[in-house]
Amino acid sequence: MNRLALETRQVSKQFPDGTYALQNIEWGVQEGETMALIGESGSGKTTLLRLLNRLAQPTAGTIYIQGNPACSQDPIQLRRCLGYVPQDGGLFPHWTITRNVCLVPHLLNWSLQQQESQFQHLMQLVNLDAAQMAERYPIELSGGQRQRVAVARALAANPAIVLLDEPFGALDPLTRHDLQDQFLSLKARLQKTMVLVTHDIWEAFRLGDRITILKDGHIQQVGTPQELLDFPANSYVHSLVCHYHNHPE
Amino acid sequence: MNIGRGRQRTRGRCSGLVFGFLLVLCSVPLSIWASDTIVVGSKNFMESRLLAEMFAQLIEARTKLTVKRRLGLAGTQVCFEALKTGGIDLYPEYTGTGLVTLLGEPPMSDRVAVLNRVRTEFLHRWNIWWLAPLGFENSYALALRRDQAQALGLQTISDLIPIGSTLKAGFGYEFIERADGLPGLQQKYGLQFQKIVGMQETLKYQATANGDVDLLDVYTTDGLLSVYDFLVLEDDRHFFPPYDATALIRGDTLERYPELASVLSLLTNALTPERMRIWNLLVQEQGQPVPQVAREMLLDLHLLMDPKPLPSSSQQRSSQSLFVYMWNMRATLAVRTVEHLGLAGLGLLLGIALAIPVGLILERWRKGAETMIRIVGMSQTIPSIALLAFMIPLFGVGTFPAIMALWIYSLFPILRNTFTGLRDAAPNVVETGRALGMTEWQILRAVRLPLAAPTIMAGIRTSAIWTLGTTTLAAFIGAGGLGVPIVAGLQLADVNVILSGALPATILALAVDALLAWVEHGVKPRGLEPVR
Repeated sequence: MNRLALETRQVSKQFPDGTYALQNIEWGVQEGETMALIGESGSGKTTLLRLLNRLAQPTAGTIYIQGNPACSQDPIQLRRCLGYVPQDGGLFPHWTITRNVCLVPHLLNWSLQQQESQFQHLMQLVNLDAAQMAERYPIELSGGQRQRVAVARALAANPAIVLLDEPFGALDPLTRHDLQDQFLSLKARLQKTMVLVTHDIWEAFRLGDRITILKDGHIQQVGTPQELLDFPANSYVHSLVCHYHNHPE
Repeated sequence: MNIGRGRQRTRGRCSGLVFGFLLVLCSVPLSIWASDTIVVGSKNFMESRLLAEMFAQLIEARTKLTVKRRLGLAGTQVCFEALKTGGIDLYPEYTGTGLVTLLGEPPMSDRVAVLNRVRTEFLHRWNIWWLAPLGFENSYALALRRDQAQALGLQTISDLIPIGSTLKAGFGYEFIERADGLPGLQQKYGLQFQKIVGMQETLKYQATANGDVDLLDVYTTDGLLSVYDFLVLEDDRHFFPPYDATALIRGDTLERYPELASVLSLLTNALTPERMRIWNLLVQEQGQPVPQVAREMLLDLHLLMDPKPLPSSSQQRSSQSLFVYMWNMRATLAVRTVEHLGLAGLGLLLGIALAIPVGLILERWRKGAETMIRIVGMSQTIPSIALLAFMIPLFGVGTFPAIMALWIYSLFPILRNTFTGLRDAAPNVVETGRALGMTEWQILRAVRLPLAAPTIMAGIRTSAIWTLGTTTLAAFIGAGGLGVPIVAGLQLADVNVILSGALPATILALAVDALLAWVEHGVKPRGLEPVR
């Protein structure tokens, strides 16, 4: 069995009012695999993602990042080693594309030449024209372009793990489809460990090597698309999967 | 590529702004610290100014002392507080006012008794001296137009008792409040009026002309009494105490400059009510400048040694058009404008220096933020003139308390905008910065502050305009600025004089607003709106 890139042991997240966002989560992501996290809003999927890069702290249990307990690492250093793509791109509106993409390399004190060549490389990777993009501002880009820049930024410092929070959720269906295609080819080339939060079962099936289904802070089932289709663990998973069957695409 | 470029551009602009403010700062007159300077104050009505100016010119002519004038301070309390705290060294006062308003004692009718009483008490309590009276009384009195008085058969205040409720009274604000004014008068005579309108001293006479008011409180030496042909009602129950005019002066000033006592005593019994009425009239009606009339008074008393004529600026105001008047006054107005900018600029600069760091702290400490901002916001609800008055017991009069008041006044918009600007600066972007491993400090410096800059700047802009407007009131506590001609013009009821202050003040506000709008646009980071 491959080493687990990400692992949670008995992890719970309880709010001050006593309700649980996540309860006793035993979960792992293997090296190089893309794990899709799916659930309704309030299911705890975004909370789980935020626990991984320590934007939130678990109230119980331990999270391991590449074998090391997350709580023993400096959160700032940890986050610089984890790529992150938020739903709306999260690009700094007052920074040029170059500055946005090279944020983490800059934080890590890369030389300007290194940053420059990395920028060229990344733009090529996400199918954008580096020369054309360099000095532009996010507002001058289309939604799809912005999201590609966000992916480039997440990959900028060559992180082993990339976290994506509904990265294609805000795009129109055509652009989304296009970007999903690019994501698949990127995934094949880079072989990175990725956690992709989505509420779109079709996207999860298409992009995820395995899928985690969350509901009300509990994991319902973890498995490959085929396993979920063939052996749904409960009626909730079954209804989700049926939804996939009925999807127009 | 250059990640730091955007930041450097902003910094260059900021330092230019700071430099500009420093320039304004340096232009605040420093004469406050000059040695051997006597500060002469006056209240904000014409006779007080005239007497103060006369004191000032006499001291200038007969001693080596430098005289600084703080004329037109807002009322008895402000003047007296200023005297107590050393903001001014002397000012003209009236014995009856000293007795009733300042000591809070019941009125007495004997002149000598009143003088001796205030002398004893002021010396004992505050080491403040009443010099020998100048020779005339300027009493409060009630008066109305002679034709109306005759038609109603009025001669004494007692005559008012049966018909008072048919009359409309226009009284000065101070008169309405003072124990030796309306409250005491109503108690002594049992008077009732149909309506009491609080009015600015110099506008009252005009108001009688069109019948808005009938009865006025007047000063017995007011030159306008004869112009408008008013009848002064006899105080047949002897309510009003005697109001002998003289100089009120600090004991330590007299000790330091003993020559002041002998010079000012030259004026003992030198003035008569009749002469005073004429001189008041010269200023009020014929529009002659106060310094010129004061000079004529001294010449008339043979107290000036060297009668050289005054410079040509002593032309009559009322005969000139506004722009000619302003052109003739350009040197004075320029100084006033610089003072105005200096006061407002310093107040604002201090406001920025305090409000932005506090805004940053509050943004980190959200729990207390709303309460804190509300408390600061309350300072905004204090009427500005009251805030200025509160400063006097603490800091005296002049530039310093004015700047303190303006400082307090400038805080709120900057604080509120700094806080909300930082709090609301693209929260999703801030979260992304955090997720990518930026430290809180990096996020603040590189993301939140640049994104909040336009909001903060808008707060500064609001604050600047408020502060500039409020600065016109600084004249009431002797801080100079463009409020000086406005206050003086109100007393003279001279529109030209008012406008000579109000017009530059308005232009200044518009110019500063335009300048800050430009800065606001400049601090707006590129990329927040599409490039054309």
